Amino acid sequence: MTATTAVSAPGTGAATTGAPPVVRFEKVNKSYGNVRAVADLDLTLYPGETVALLGPNGAGKSSSLDLLLGLRHPDSGRVEVFGTTPRQAIVRGRVGAMLQSGALMEDVTVRELVGLACELHPKGHPVDEVLERAGIAEIASRKVNKLSGGQEQRVRFAFATAGASDLIVLDEPTTGMDVSSRQTFWGAMREQTKQGRTILFATHYLEEADAIADRVIVLHGGRVLADGSSAAIKAMAGARRINFELDGPIDGTALRALPALTGIEISGRTVRIRSTDADATVHAVYRLGLYPRGLEVTGLGLEQAFLAITDAATDVSTGPATDMAGDTAPTVEESAR
Amino acid sequence: MKALVKLEIARTLRNRKFMFFTVVYPSVLFLLIAGSTDADERVPGTGLSMPLYYMVAMASFGALTAGLMGNGERIAKEREGGWTRQLRLTPLPGRGYVAAKIAVGAVATLPSIVIVFVVAAAVKGVRLDAAWEWAALTGAIWAGSLVFAALGVAIGYLATGDAVRPLTMIIYFGLSILGGLWMPTTSYPQWLRNIGDYLPTHAYTALGQAIELGGAPHAKDIALLIGYLALFAGGAAWLYRKDTRKA
Repeated sequence: MTATTAVSAPGTGAATTGAPPVVRFEKVNKSYGNVRAVADLDLTLYPGETVALLGPNGAGKSSSLDLLLGLRHPDSGRVEVFGTTPRQAIVRGRVGAMLQSGALMEDVTVRELVGLACELHPKGHPVDEVLERAGIAEIASRKVNKLSGGQEQRVRFAFATAGASDLIVLDEPTTGMDVSSRQTFWGAMREQTKQGRTILFATHYLEEADAIADRVIVLHGGRVLADGSSAAIKAMAGARRINFELDGPIDGTALRALPALTGIEISGRTVRIRSTDADATVHAVYRLGLYPRGLEVTGLGLEQAFLAITDAATDVSTGPATDMAGDTAPTVEESAR
Repeated sequence: MKALVKLEIARTLRNRKFMFFTVVYPSVLFLLIAGSTDADERVPGTGLSMPLYYMVAMASFGALTAGLMGNGERIAKEREGGWTRQLRLTPLPGRGYVAAKIAVGAVATLPSIVIVFVVAAAVKGVRLDAAWEWAALTGAIWAGSLVFAALGVAIGYLATGDAVRPLTMIIYFGLSILGGLWMPTTSYPQWLRNIGDYLPTHAYTALGQAIELGGAPHAKDIALLIGYLALFAGGAAWLYRKDTRKA
């Protein structure tokens, strides 16, 4: 009943570089009670990539990062960072990381705290340099427990970039930042990428992933749903749901041949289509000489768009619930033609 | 690692409330308990006067309190807040974290010991035979308190939230009473004394008492304390490393 075109974009840097991977997940599983946070996750990051880990809350982003950083251990499978254990990689000063939340040390100044990170790092930078780059030089003498949310995030960023680490991991780094501090933040981030660092950050904003990352990995239910260049992912996320009714006999074969189609469902007179290019698809419907009634084009939202596109993959993992996702999720009415 | 030790000490000294209570509490207890005792009164089974006995006991008790209570609760709070998670993303080894926390305990305890001695000498007229005994007592009680600072770190990693206070209390009172910090164990039944003999608190008070009596501490007590220190510090470092609690 559903014709599916599987779209799986290749990892961008993966095939082109022969360098040993920075991070490697091999069939990694992690459950909390009966919640499967990470399911058979395979993932490889290569040097110099800026990778966004994209997905809604509960997709397994933070769990994956925890595993990558050795804060948790997988139930099964292997996590390797620079060919060794996460802990070893951190001890060698190859990884700098910033967590999404969590208190900082109390009763100390910003400068003291960042200075601590610089001293603990085997290849630590001078404190002033780190403070300057994180844009917190002017609040250096302020107590850490008296900062705004955005300032606190920048202190965390400074903590993560206190030394010359080869991989920087950031878990939803811009949480709590206003628009201007976001911009400053990503500016500082680009500085890091220019120095050839590998960056991995989690976010649930496609725009953020698109603007910063050159590779985007979409997680859902602890699995990789899509992995590709940010352009490819953006194109996928542009998926639309098109619904209409037809009078008279329905020519299924012609409908299935519509352009940009990723899924079609015909029940009675109702046709439900998923398309990566709604304009082209709708145009082709008219060109077939059909007169669709009650035509409705709906944006699927990021998660639903990926679910729709990778039906084959998700049917296995989440079963019938996925089919409902597009209908029940809050969607944006794009246009009704 | 040195950086963390320095920073931990600096911020503890800044915490005036904590420092005030840590420093003043043992002296107040001493005055409350030993205030009514007579200088001629002797502790049964020893040749010690009551005020002298309580001076050492309360200095030890205060040092134990500072290490155990101070560290345990503060660490549990830091774990819950998520700070230790962030710290674990640095190359800092587990022993560095534990060393810093023990150092914090040591910094807070030293003044509390000295003040109990000053109060005891000034108010209750406690005198020792030789000046070296004061120095030796201070050193022994201070060094011994490291064991309990280490235990505090371990407790901070064993329990969280609501559990940490009752757990600390049980260990705290259990160790203090059975180890003879509050009253001489000579009044306890034999089986209880047998247990008490192997507690770190007993070895701890024994250190002080041996010096009070003008002798050197027994090797057994020192060995016992070093053993406990290694156990608690090692356990704490191990717990720090494997802690997977989420913020």
